[in-house]
Formats: sequence, C-alpha cells, structure tokens
Amino acid sequence: MSLAHEFAYYKPLRLEEALSLKQQYGNKANILAGGTDLIVNIREGVLKPDLLIDIKRIKELSQLNWGNDTLFIGSNVTFAELIENEVVQKNFVLLHDACKTIGSTGIRARATLTGNICSAVPSLDSAPALLCYEAMIHCAGTGSKREIPVREWFLSPRKTALQEDEIVTGISIKRIPDSYGIYIKLGRYSGEDLAQAGWGILMIGDKQYRFAHCALSPIPKRAYHIEDLCNGNSLNADLIEKAIALIPSEINPITDIRCTQKYRMYISEIMLRRGLMAIQKRSSGKYIEPRKLMGDV
Amino acid sequence: MKDYKYIGKNVTRIDALDKISGAATFVDDIDFGANLLYAELIESTEASALIKKIDISAAMKVKGVYKIFTGKDFHNRFGLYMKDRYVFAQERVRFVGEQIGAVVAFTPEAAKSAVALVKVEYEPLPAVLNQMDALQSDAPLLHPEVENYPRVPWFYPKAGTNIAHWRKTRKGDLGKGFAKADVILEDTYSVPRYAHCALETHIAVAKFDHSGRLTVWSSSQSPHTQRHLFAEALGLSHKDVRVITPYVGGGFGGKAGVTMEIIPAVLATQLKGYAVKLRYSREQEFTNTYQRLGVVAKIKMGATKDGRITALEHKLYWDAGAYVEYGANVVNAVGLSASGPYCIDNVSIDSVCVYTNLPPGGPYRGFGYSEMLFGLESHISRMAQQLNIDEVEFRRINAIKPGDETAYGAKMNPSGLQDCIDKAAAAINWGKKPVSEDPTKVIGQGFAAFWKAPAMPPNASSSAFLKFNEDATINLLISGMDIGQGYQTVMAQIAGEILSVPPAKIRVETPDTDRNPYEWQTVASHITWSCGNAVKNAALDAREQIFSLIHRVYHYPVDVLYLEDEAVKCKTDSAFILPLQNFVVDGIMTEDGTFKGGPVNGCGMFMPEFSSTKDNPETSQGGHPNVHYTVGAAALNLEIDKETGKMKLLKVALAIDAGKAINPDLVRGQITGGLLQGLATVLYEDMRFNEKGKLLNPNLTDYKIPTAKDVPEEIIPIIVEVPQPDGPFGARGIGEHTMLPAAPMIANAIEDALGIRIKSLPITAEKVALTFLQEKAKQ
Repeated sequence: MSLAHEFAYYKPLRLEEALSLKQQYGNKANILAGGTDLIVNIREGVLKPDLLIDIKRIKELSQLNWGNDTLFIGSNVTFAELIENEVVQKNFVLLHDACKTIGSTGIRARATLTGNICSAVPSLDSAPALLCYEAMIHCAGTGSKREIPVREWFLSPRKTALQEDEIVTGISIKRIPDSYGIYIKLGRYSGEDLAQAGWGILMIGDKQYRFAHCALSPIPKRAYHIEDLCNGNSLNADLIEKAIALIPSEINPITDIRCTQKYRMYISEIMLRRGLMAIQKRSSGKYIEPRKLMGDV
Repeated sequence: MKDYKYIGKNVTRIDALDKISGAATFVDDIDFGANLLYAELIESTEASALIKKIDISAAMKVKGVYKIFTGKDFHNRFGLYMKDRYVFAQERVRFVGEQIGAVVAFTPEAAKSAVALVKVEYEPLPAVLNQMDALQSDAPLLHPEVENYPRVPWFYPKAGTNIAHWRKTRKGDLGKGFAKADVILEDTYSVPRYAHCALETHIAVAKFDHSGRLTVWSSSQSPHTQRHLFAEALGLSHKDVRVITPYVGGGFGGKAGVTMEIIPAVLATQLKGYAVKLRYSREQEFTNTYQRLGVVAKIKMGATKDGRITALEHKLYWDAGAYVEYGANVVNAVGLSASGPYCIDNVSIDSVCVYTNLPPGGPYRGFGYSEMLFGLESHISRMAQQLNIDEVEFRRINAIKPGDETAYGAKMNPSGLQDCIDKAAAAINWGKKPVSEDPTKVIGQGFAAFWKAPAMPPNASSSAFLKFNEDATINLLISGMDIGQGYQTVMAQIAGEILSVPPAKIRVETPDTDRNPYEWQTVASHITWSCGNAVKNAALDAREQIFSLIHRVYHYPVDVLYLEDEAVKCKTDSAFILPLQNFVVDGIMTEDGTFKGGPVNGCGMFMPEFSSTKDNPETSQGGHPNVHYTVGAAALNLEIDKETGKMKLLKVALAIDAGKAINPDLVRGQITGGLLQGLATVLYEDMRFNEKGKLLNPNLTDYKIPTAKDVPEEIIPIIVEVPQPDGPFGARGIGEHTMLPAAPMIANAIEDALGIRIKSLPITAEKVALTFLQEKAKQ
C-alpha cells in the first residue's frame, strides 16, 4: 500500500513536545496512536495532514490506572488491553461488552479507545458505554488542561468538542456500585462489522437506569425519555413495553449502505427488549454472551 | 473397483510446504530491479460521457513522473469471445472506473499523486444502469457498432439495440406442453451483481526489451490465453510474447481471460527496457476487473398432477455491463442449460446479454448457473407445493438421467443425480425438521438440485510435458493454475499413479508459456478432466518409452511389463525388478559397455474431439456445445429468528457426483469453500450503485465476505462417483458447482419456516425480518 499524500512524522517522548507541535500545526497535524482509522483516511484522501504526531512513546499516555474507584484509560490504551483488564471485566461490563465487538482481533490489538471517540462516527460502539458511565474526556493544550463530560463531546458526525490545539490524554470512568450493564450490537454477520444499531443499558440497583445508543442518530446519545420513564420502577414486562414505546422519541435513524431507517427503527425495539431481559438475568448472576442475543457467534 | 495407489487417496498437497513456509512466490514478491516503473490509472468518474479534453500539464510536473498515456496513444481493442473492450477509452467512457489513461512514474506515490492532478473534461451522455431499461426501444446505445465487432461464431448480437448476444434454445412444443399441465406457475426472480474478492488483487508487470520481446508476469488463471490476446492486440508473434504466472492468491473466475493485464503490456511497448507494474487497489478490484452479472429471470412452468414438468419457458435478461467480451459467454452457457438438471419435453429459453453502463460483467465461479438456479430451484420448490408433492420427490420425478435429451438435443452423460438427491435429503433427515426450543426461533428445511457444464470453445485443449530426473523424481510441466483448488496435487497423483511414483516426488511448478505446453485456461471446472487427461497421456507416453526400452534390452514382451513402487517389474519373471532411477536418465548399460535409452520425457495432450457449437441459432439444436455436466444436490436446516430475521445454518449437506474423487479431501475442501462463498452471496454480500452508476461499497467494510465465524455449524460433504467415461480415472470437475445450490436452498428453507417467499437476492436478515413483518401485517 502506498500513500500518495506526503506528511512530516514526529514521535515525541514528552507530552509538552506533542502539544507544542499541535499548537503550531493546529488541524494540519493529526495524532497517531493506533492509526486504524487515520491511515485509512489518509490513503483515501479524506485527511491530508502536514504532520503526524505519533504519541506511542509518551509514557503517561499509555497508563491504565485504577484508584479511588476511577479507571483512567490513557490515550494509547488499546481495546485488546481493555478486554484483558480485570478491572474492566469486573467493574465496567458494559464497556467490556462493547470493546469485544469492535473491529477484528487484529484491529483491537492496535486501535485505541481514545482514537475511537476522536473519530466520532455515528456508529461508535464504545460511545453508549462511555455515555452510560458518564466518562470524562481529559484534554490538554499548551499550558491548559480541561475535562469534558462525554455527553458534551460529540457535536455532529465526525466532529467533537476538542479544540484544534488540544490532544486527548485519556478517558476516565468511575465505578458505579451495584450496577449491571450490557451492550447489544446489530451487525450484518458474525464477523467484524460496524454497528447497524447499538444499545447500551446500565441498571443501577434495581430502580435506576441509563440507556444510550449508537448508529441510530447523527451522534451517539443517552435516551433520557426512556430513563425518566424507567427510573424508580422495577424491571418487569410492562415497564419494558412502555420503554420500547418511547423509542421513536429517542432515535432519528437514517437509511445508509448498512441498513434501512425502517429496520433500525424496528430492530431497536427488539434490541431494547432483549437487552433489558438479559440485564435482568445478569443481575441474578446468569452468564450472558451479548453477541448471541442478536444471533451472532 | 480397481485398487489404486494414489488415485482416490487424500494425498497431502504438494504445494503445502511452499505456501505455509512463505516460500511461495507471488507477482509482487518478484524483484524487477532498478528499471521498474509504476503505472496508476486515470479513471472515469462518469458512467456515460464523451471525453472532451484531458489536461495532463499539472500531472506531468509531479516529481518522479515519467510519462502519461491516454487513448490517443493506444487504440487497441481486445476481448476473449468478442473484441469490444478498449485498452484505454476512445473518446467515450461507458462506466465509472473505466481506464482513460495511465500515469507512469518512478514511484507508486508519484504516479498516484499525478493521477489526482489530471483534469478530464466530460460531456455527459444519458446512462442506462439496468438491463430492463437498456432493452427499451428508446434506450441510448452503448455500442452502436456491436454487429461489426469480431466475435466467436456462436454469438448473435442485435444491431441497433443494446443486445450483445441472444441465445435461444427451443425443444418440443411449448404450447402443447402448457396445455397438458394441470398447474402453471409464473414468476420473476432477480439476482444482483457480485464481486469475487480474491485475497490477492490483480497485478501485472510487463517488460518489452530492446529485441522486441514482451514478457508479462501476472496473477492469472489464463497464461496462454493472455499470451494469445496480447499477441493479437499488439500485433506480436506468439513466440515473442512470454507470460509467466507465479502463484495466485485466489481467482474465482476474476482472473480468467484478460482484464487489466493488457494495460502494462501495452504501456511496455512504449517504454522499452523498463518493467512496468500495475497493481490494483481493493477499490479497483471491485470496479474494473469483472463482476458477476446480474439477472432478471422470468419463469413459466407447467406440470401435471402426478408431478411431471410438461413445459418450461425461461427468459433471462442479463445486466452484462459496459463490455461483454467474456460475460456474453456466461449468457450463452446459461441459455443452453436453463432447463436445470431436469428432463423436460417442451422447453423455451431466451438468454439475453444486455449492455449497461456498469462495470464489465464476466466469469465468476458458477458461470451464470448460480443466478439461473436461484429462480429455477425456487420455482421448483413452489411448483411442488402447488401440486402438493414433496419437493424432493418432485425433483426425483423430473431429474435428468444418463441418455436423456437435454434442451438442445444432445444426450446427458453418465451421472448420479438421483443418488445425490437421496443422499443430501437423507443427510439432514429431510421431512423431519428439528424444532427450536426458543419460541422466537423457527427451523426450516431447504433443498436444491444443480448441474453445470464447462463453458468453453469446442476445441479448448490441454497439454503436458513430463521429465524424469536422475533419481526418478519427476518435473511435470503443465499450464493450469493452482488457485487454491489443489490442481497441482491432483495432476501429480494422476502421473504418479501411472508411473508408480509417489506424488511427493513429483514437482509441479507454476507455468511460463515459453517452457510449459499449451493450456486453454484454468476455468470452467474442466482442468481436472481436461488437463488430467493430458497428464495421463504424458505419463502413458513415458511408460511406453520405458517398456519399449526394457523390451529392447531384456527382450521381455511389452505386455508382461508393469510399474510398481518406482520400478519396472515383469508378470512372468518375478525376479526382474529394475528401479526407475537406474535408467530413466542415464539409460541401461548393455554387456558391451554401450548404453541404450536415455532421458525419458513424456508428452501428452487432450482435446474433446466430439464437441461442436454448430447449431441452429433459432433453436440451438444440432450441436454438442457442452462436453458433459456435473450434477448434485444440497439440503439444509436453517434456524431463523422470527424477530430479527437472523439466520443460523445448523446443518448443510451437499452431494456431488465427482465421477471419481481423485483426492477426496480436496473435493471436501471445495464443497466447504464453495458452499461458504455461495451462502455469503445469499446472506450478506451486496453491491450497491448510486443513481450515477458509482459503486458505493468497493471495500470489505461494506461488502461483506464470510469470516471463520460465519461457517455453518455442520457441513456434510457427500461424494458420489458415477464415472465420467472420458475423464481421467473417471473424474469430472466439481469446483464451481459447490456454490450453485446456496441461494435457492436458503430461499426455500425460509418459506418452509416462515411461509414467506423471497424472490430477490441478497436475502439479508433485514429483508427476512421486514418481509415477515409485512406478511404478518397483511393477515
């Protein structure tokens, strides 16, 4: 494979160097961590950067730290690392479910969670989990630092709240005690696929809920109407049907190459129903393989 | 049955070590040295337009660019069965992606950058993007001069239309047949285009040296056919064209004939002394090689209450794309065989090849039969239902038997269709479908029978050279391509059986047309049969030389001699054992110290001398266009989630009559691979074009091909063996056939499970769910 586009390449050791380059080049510089989206975009001419800043040697961006009930996921942390991580497996089941559905084994070994949210496509598998866990996105600029709540992160398809002189240093998520989560994804076959639709559900205690979806609106979103309806109520068949009835008020899907609007609308009901029933089983200690809920292997 | 040593045995692939160790060389592995240039194509962005102006000035300024060529530099036309394709577009483009010219540069990056700077000015013309529109009387014509194009004698273009070829087959009296019927069923089925998706994209490197000799290295199924077409298009002598084809990373028909390889070959003639490489990207692999043709098929069938089909009218309208030099023969093949594997007294087939402003249609594993069988086998299942006869029984009643007359009048070859039907049905316990424990899921059973003949010119031939080495190992020189099917191994088994040499001691290299003897092409699933016969003849030739030498030296009559365990033995003198390695190169020393014999080199060829395409164009009666058919049947248990439409393939059985399975494991490999490829075309592969004729998913992100996770839970491969009288050890081809039953079998199982009939491909989970929902709403 040859890239017709020429660019400079820099691999700094320190974050400050990367930030100063980013300040200098602005949106003419792209950050390279996994590169699984970036290189494809350059090859296809979607991006034409003057500079690639490879952050893989910046050690602080590779950390995966657990403390004070909070997991900090540095921007170099790959999906494979998250899948293998015991803290994620135990405390962030919804995120763990989502990570397993992203790309293929090879892609997951390289692609990063941070890169995923920076690409900000509507079908972003990791977004429902981060929205449900109310993740904070850690951004740094030269001489500045800020944390952006994930619900303010996605602005429009492929557009985020990140400023052009900023770099994402990582994502933090806080453990929510007594919670059960599940991510259900619809794909075209059992192999790796972009989501035709995705729903993340988090049940806290037995009467609090969070819902979020991807590939069903221009940006991934929480489903607050459904949450308002469900909060304070125990999960039962009646509640599930009432929640499903609210789906049209929560999503705004389109027809694209992967799926029609009609099927996305329809299948969301099935996904939500199956997801809520599965989460109930999970909360009672049963093993659930979320892929199987939608017929995948 | 005769006891063979290597035939019918699961001999390990002789190319296995090459491939698993990484020693196998592919075109892009070859180092062409410092004088290598890289070509990139300037491609049409319009589906139909006149080229008004091409401005290359900015592109020429890119550092590293050597030259830029367009249609004004080369006017050559080419094609396998009809010369309708241009090396570079001549003033007019006919599909998005068509090559208008090429940038040649010292680096691939420079070539790519320069292509982006070439400005092409178009005057758009109306485009026709499907065959039914192209057939309208006011449709714009893609090739106003189609009737003047050089072509094979069995093609019948219609002047003043977009019809490049119309194959008509007529048998019996259709009106009488329908009059006899108790039930008549009529419907339309449609199948879209598909892509081959071989792992290795197309690549060719060409070098024209200062002596005027052209050498092309290509990833191809057709080295000799390429040599012939290069020589024809460029006006060179065959002896001055050399095609070298190393290992190929998958073909599936997409690397048959000539597509992009002509471009570097032509460019090289203007770039003497350089080698020119053109390597396709995955996008180009989709848009500008061949695609499988799309079809709209209208079927009208009549049958009596006792289950006899009395009449079949089958009209197939093919979306063959902008150039049909190869695709028109797909249309032809189906036009002869659209009765399916049934004996029907009254048949009318119209198979119509229609030009459209989409990429060229061409050969794809199955050669039109998958598309044809989707409609026909769906229809068979529905007809049986209407007659209240079990659909497997209905197929048994009508199945073609050896000696029966085909729709074009030739006799059916020995074949075991009944046996295949019975065995496939038994393997899944036909009629006793399992019940899912999950209330949201239902299980349906599906069935389909199939047949296919090699589609080839009547005189397509194969040949083989066989050289003994000092240690009695063998180099076998043949020109078929091992594109994954195991051809080299099977040829070694055939030679080894006759010469008593273990296949592991036989080396089969990939061909070089300078050194290896003629082979038409590795297509049509005919190579085991045709090249197998050539190899058998070469081995027999070598054996004759050996026996004649032994006779000369030791005076044993030739007919008491035989080969066993790499030695010559004698039926009448058990003490006589002469190892081959003692003499196959050095000869045999006689009492006076002189030697008799010398290197043993066998030579063999095969051409089917009974085949003919001379027939009546209005009926197709009178010729013998197909050498034989391979038949089979398949059945499956399909679990469907009624809510999501997702389908799980619980158990799939496929029975095929291989004549003689020379290597049963390789046959089972073909069954597994073919089924998987076929099932993918039903379940998720889907080519989408926009209203301007641009392919929307020229990538593996949105054109899905199966992964290991998508393999059916259980595959039962069944080999039936009714020998092919003129096949090597009774063998006939099975490679393409294994994907043929996939689509109708799934559609039939869906109807069995849900009561809905889907008449268009693909049958995605979405389509099943939404169709079922719609059906439920009606009730």
